[in-house]
Amino acid sequence: MFKRMFGLQWKEFNRGKAAGGKLIAKILKWFGIVYFAFMSFMMGLIASKYGGPSMTFPIEEGTTAPFLYLNKQLIYVFAYLIVMRYFIQSLPVLNIRALLLAPVLKTQIVRFSLLKTVFTYFNILPLFFLIPFSFLLAKSGNYDITGLIFWNINIIGIIYVTNFFNFLLNNKDKLLYGVGATLALIKALEFYSVIDFTIYSEQFFYLFYNAPYATCFTWLLVFWLYGYVKKYFLKGLYLDKGLQLKIAEAKIDDFSFLDRFGKTATFIKNDLRLLKRSKRARTAVYMGIGFLFYGLIFASQEDLYSDFAGGSFALAMSFFGYLFSTGGFLFMFGSFVPSWDSQYYPLMMTQKILYKEYLNSKWSLMIIGTVISTILASFIYSFFGTNAVYAVLAGAFYNIGVNGYLTLWAGAYTKSPIDLNSSANAFGDKKAINAKTLLVGFPQMLLPVLVYYFTSQYYDHLTGCLAVAGLGTLGIFLKPVAFNLIMKAYKTEKYSTLKAYKTN
Amino acid sequence: MIKIENLTKKYLKQTVLDIDSIDIPLGQTFGLIGNNGAGKTTLFSCLLDLIKPTKGKVINNDVDVSKSEDWKSFTTAFLDETFLIGYLMPEEYFYFIGELRGLNKKEVDSFLAQFEDFFHGEILGGKKYLRDLSKGNQKKAGVVAALIGEPKVVILDEPFANLDPTTQIRLKSIVKDMSKNKDVTVLVSSHDIQDVTEVCERIVLLEKGRVIKDLVTSPETLKELESYFKGE
Repeated sequence: MFKRMFGLQWKEFNRGKAAGGKLIAKILKWFGIVYFAFMSFMMGLIASKYGGPSMTFPIEEGTTAPFLYLNKQLIYVFAYLIVMRYFIQSLPVLNIRALLLAPVLKTQIVRFSLLKTVFTYFNILPLFFLIPFSFLLAKSGNYDITGLIFWNINIIGIIYVTNFFNFLLNNKDKLLYGVGATLALIKALEFYSVIDFTIYSEQFFYLFYNAPYATCFTWLLVFWLYGYVKKYFLKGLYLDKGLQLKIAEAKIDDFSFLDRFGKTATFIKNDLRLLKRSKRARTAVYMGIGFLFYGLIFASQEDLYSDFAGGSFALAMSFFGYLFSTGGFLFMFGSFVPSWDSQYYPLMMTQKILYKEYLNSKWSLMIIGTVISTILASFIYSFFGTNAVYAVLAGAFYNIGVNGYLTLWAGAYTKSPIDLNSSANAFGDKKAINAKTLLVGFPQMLLPVLVYYFTSQYYDHLTGCLAVAGLGTLGIFLKPVAFNLIMKAYKTEKYSTLKAYKTN
Repeated sequence: MIKIENLTKKYLKQTVLDIDSIDIPLGQTFGLIGNNGAGKTTLFSCLLDLIKPTKGKVINNDVDVSKSEDWKSFTTAFLDETFLIGYLMPEEYFYFIGELRGLNKKEVDSFLAQFEDFFHGEILGGKKYLRDLSKGNQKKAGVVAALIGEPKVVILDEPFANLDPTTQIRLKSIVKDMSKNKDVTVLVSSHDIQDVTEVCERIVLLEKGRVIKDLVTSPETLKELESYFKGE
């Protein structure tokens, strides 16, 4: 039975609606997974020789600092894992309705759906870190091998706890708000240094190294959670329960104040409603907000790398971070134009709509998002000095003047339909972003960073910023030319896009 | 009004549509009937430039639909749920379509007033998005949206399927009213020979993409179609 269900999944994967067109997307996704696996592996190697920011690198002989340091950070690792899973991991959607009447035990349907998640990359990728890390620790001779093994088993156990916990998070709103509030509280307490959670984290996780039998409890929790989730879904396998679509009460949103912008407003109004009412689309906004803080990763570590290549490399990396901070929404929303309209693309194609108006409205929304992001980002990064703000503004200009067009242009070739309604499904599908979205961004990010890097190398920071901002400004003036090219792409791709979006 | 010339559509080697010529004059109510896979939807998709034909062309009011987009200003259609915007409320959807066709809110409202009976209190003023409506109610909304803005050509794919009896009867009378109006060309497809003979002035029978019969509706038409589909 299990084999047959697996076969069903395989066929869905292979024969899915846009299977052929998605080949490149698949390649990019795998490229992304390989990239993250490689990074995890490298981090495993490095972390085993590293004792934290205040300590030296590489560590002195005979200390257990790397292990203790990792244990300190694990609480955050798992907190982020929960958040990432919630937003990115797509839960399995079997065609459950069709199976309900088939001679298959309901427990088998649920069991298959749950066990399938055991092999998602969220569960596998950490191994790429854990194995080299633990191996090098064991090799150093400072550690108890049994302890290390059980510590690893425990960590894997906790990874699976988050795996099954994610099912509940996706289905129980109260739990979701509770967890969200707790994570926010932890972050706040840490930020204002009220409580240092790393101390407890270290003690807690060290316990499993020190007292291996404690690992049993983690795995008991894994099996209990698995059983609980299984029971929960088993109860929901009725058309009027878990399989029923949740219907939200609808309210009219009147955006008539936008009417003064003419035809463009007609579409913007719809897109605002889309962002408001589709869970899938809302994720684009959340991601945009999340990316606002992306620059912090680099900005806060500028000092760390200041010796490397005369510090200009660190500055270039920060610049990359700022560029993403202002462009998060632009990428998250823009990469899915016109996929947002995939469900009713035939309607759009038979209306009296000029591509120019259509694209202009999408572009305007992206620009509005970028401007808002820029205002917020300039505030956030003002704590890093005026130079940071210059970089943020330069990035914003580039995003508006160049990346807006590039993203729209790439969208003409994306052609992956988006099921806006699917998030209301019992097993919920919330994969609003994929690896491709991020990877399409790289050519758009690399050029400005290189321009900045070389100009700032020969002149100074401000000139570097001005050069990038100049490119952006040039782009703003070239809007008609850029739009003509984009329109041409949309026109030639019309039929194949319609075909790819076709759902029946 | 609509001229179909030498229209063929091939997928790989399979021919799904092969029509020498059909000429639909202005104001005609035109019915398309055939079994599954006869090419009805494919033909409509070609008329709306949603599919590029392998050969041949469609001229809609002197506009070659694959060359110019001018036909969009006087042609409307409802083929299936891909013509609905799921996250909008029915009202918002009607306003959106209205705006695209140059009607303001008030004009759309007064247009919708005449469909109060047809909506049966289930479309307007509800608290549901289009995606949450039943299939039948979605179809009602889609069909009415296709009538907004005084189009000259209205294309409806299987408008009578999936509707409750009352709505079927009301929709038929709407289509019949339109056929009295000699400025509107209506194209309807159906699986039901009774439905098409009831509302259409002319009926074309498609089979495997070819025109088998092209009839002006008369009292004998129903029998003729019946005997064809019985295999006599």
